[in-house]
Amino acid sequence: MTDPLVIFDLLLALGIVALAIASLSVRDRFAMIVLFIVFGLFSALAWVRLSAPDVALAEAAIGTGVTGALLLKTLHHLRFVESRTAITEAACAPVPLGVLLANAAFCGLITLGLAVAFLGAPSAGPGFDALVAEAMPASGVDHPVTGVLLNFRAYDTLMEVVVLLAAVIAVWQIERGLSDAPAPAMGEVWQGFARLVLPAIVVIGTYLLWVGAEAPGGAFQGGAVLAAVGLLLLLTRAYVPRPEHRGIARGAFVLGTGTFALVALMVAGGGRVAFEYPLDHAKTLILLIEGMVTISIAVTLAALFHGREPVALPKGGRDDT
Amino acid sequence: MTLDLDMMMMAIFLPLFGAIAAFILPRAAALVGLVTLALTTGAVIALGLEVRQSGAVVLPLGGWGAPLGIDLRADGLSVAMLALTSAVGFLVSIAALDALKGADQARERQYFWPLWLLLLTGINGVYLSTDIFNLYVMIEVIALAAVGLTVLSATRAAVQAGLEYMYASILGALLFLMGVGFIYLQIGRLDFTGLMGAEPTAALIAAVALMFVGLALKTALFPLHLWLPAAHANATAPASALLSGLVVKAALYIVLRLAQYMPFPSETLLTLVGLMGAGAVIWGGIQALRAERLKLLVAWSTVAQIGLIFVAFARAGEVGLTESWKAAALLILAHGIAKAAMFLAAGRIKDEIGHDVIRDLDRAPVRPTLAQFTFALAAISLIGLPPSLGFIGKWSLMEGALVAGYWHWVAVTMLGTLLSVAYFSRVLSAFLRFDRIRTPVAEHQGWALADAAPLTLALTAIGLGLMAAPILRFIEIGYPFGAAL
Repeated sequence: MTDPLVIFDLLLALGIVALAIASLSVRDRFAMIVLFIVFGLFSALAWVRLSAPDVALAEAAIGTGVTGALLLKTLHHLRFVESRTAITEAACAPVPLGVLLANAAFCGLITLGLAVAFLGAPSAGPGFDALVAEAMPASGVDHPVTGVLLNFRAYDTLMEVVVLLAAVIAVWQIERGLSDAPAPAMGEVWQGFARLVLPAIVVIGTYLLWVGAEAPGGAFQGGAVLAAVGLLLLLTRAYVPRPEHRGIARGAFVLGTGTFALVALMVAGGGRVAFEYPLDHAKTLILLIEGMVTISIAVTLAALFHGREPVALPKGGRDDT
Repeated sequence: MTLDLDMMMMAIFLPLFGAIAAFILPRAAALVGLVTLALTTGAVIALGLEVRQSGAVVLPLGGWGAPLGIDLRADGLSVAMLALTSAVGFLVSIAALDALKGADQARERQYFWPLWLLLLTGINGVYLSTDIFNLYVMIEVIALAAVGLTVLSATRAAVQAGLEYMYASILGALLFLMGVGFIYLQIGRLDFTGLMGAEPTAALIAAVALMFVGLALKTALFPLHLWLPAAHANATAPASALLSGLVVKAALYIVLRLAQYMPFPSETLLTLVGLMGAGAVIWGGIQALRAERLKLLVAWSTVAQIGLIFVAFARAGEVGLTESWKAAALLILAHGIAKAAMFLAAGRIKDEIGHDVIRDLDRAPVRPTLAQFTFALAAISLIGLPPSLGFIGKWSLMEGALVAGYWHWVAVTMLGTLLSVAYFSRVLSAFLRFDRIRTPVAEHQGWALADAAPLTLALTAIGLGLMAAPILRFIEIGYPFGAAL
């Protein structure tokens, strides 16, 4: 008896590989980005089939949604720059054959290593499953993924949030003068569309955050969905970043990291070490952390889409983007 | 007992809170940065005293304990690396006060501190971690902050170099992560203790090899060094000092830890690592001889010196690894201090003269004497003349290789030393020629706060050679791993 899902899985796997090849080989940059977005959606499906709905949500929201928006924004900027200067795609020098061969040899070695590691691995090796199941009652939440991320290995998660903070600081500090490209803006139809979907996105994002305690979801997924609100606000010009807002934005960027780190330190003492939440308050503290981290992630991703520190413009200048 | 545990947290959390404060309060960023550095250094000193007194200390975060949770652990080697980071970091910070004081550097002044403090968080995190997934997260923190520092100078070349650095760094992290994933798949654990007892199957070796390639990319081991020279040469001087002195050491340290605790694959692979190191020594040396700019020469010398550290790993073969890591650790410490001093001095020379074209250094009407003296002192340690720490490192490398009968590694070290004498002489001779300039030479330009920091570093690099025995005793505290648990 063949499971019909096996056929689906096979098609999915083939589709993913084909999309990867297509997005690498296609010449048109817009088509490349669209293919990449579709590739991301297929990958999210694959994660669902691998019984990892949390990863699937993250892949769909961040890997596909936010990344796709970033790529399209970059394309918009590139097209503008190219229309003003003589640089074209053809201006790129072809890669020398020697470099190609060296890269191919390197990739071949890596693939070999991956193959050996994969083929030699046990199909159902040991893992944390039993340990996690045993420790879940003491974690304050019911969803194992959230338990691992926010309690057992909360230190890792804190540092992942720090990575995002470092990213936005690095983006803000890049000096690029005053931007030339006019802001990509949506037409009137989209303005109406944004009014309709914005409340829905807010509800979905908050729900994802809330449900993370018992079911797939959580701060990263919720934050990414909420970041879409920021994207729409920026695109519809309902919100235009101004230099006066920098202080608030900085506060929002560090809110998640700061709260997380403070909670981690404050629970220590009285025989407890850092990150050791008292069981009675574990759920409250985890929700507090997740809430603040969600706000930071949403604002940070939106700021990354905006792509620069809001700077003062000379009088009569264009809207800054 | 709670005191020492807190010190490990402090070494990671103080810079984190410092970075947040420096980012929120841009105008007070420098003050916040210096206070944070001072406090972090205090925490590291306290931790060092604790470790010296009672051996390695462990802190199970969240109270779960490995393998479910993450343990922080400080032993002699960790504390030595933390001390290197704090000392170099503190002095570079003081130098940065001066290097970034220009009226047109408001943006750099504002952003240097949060990025540098986040970088410090990541580096200290690496040195205290005992968990390979946690190490991955930490090297990601380091990577983003380091890329930010690379592009801080905002020149076109720096942005391009920073972008290449980011690609290399992300690829390296990805390879490391895949290795971590496969190791978890096979032994179901991520902590060092779990790795120690692992059976060295072919699949495990492949996973470790993936991790090693990722780390080699991050630490710029030949032939994966291509991103380093441009990135380190085009960054602003304090950033270069941090990148070359501290950042590449984090990945090196992970290699060292893996070599300590993982069953090493095989003699052949170790020889291969040594050969890559030898390639770096020779190629880095040749490129440094050809470099036209001072900072680029210093950056290429980093490539060569990193190669030498890998030669130290391989110096006595598989059986010698239990001793070889100490020679590598000494070279890491020596290079960290001396290279930071050299990059700061090179930055000072560039600032005073106005350019860093080596050919024209001897035609400058300005002679930043103190910076040139600092550069020479740092060169002494990097070449490995006695009594510098670099000398002790090279000596223990060659001693071990001789005992094991591996003459070829001695030859590589000698060749590397000759090359370094040659390329540093290009610069030093330019400092000493006075016949090329007809106008009165303005000497003693640049007696500034910025000279105090690199000079202290260079003197430390030389002086620490006299303290090699206590340092060696100290880094052995808590080794091997299982003993203190």
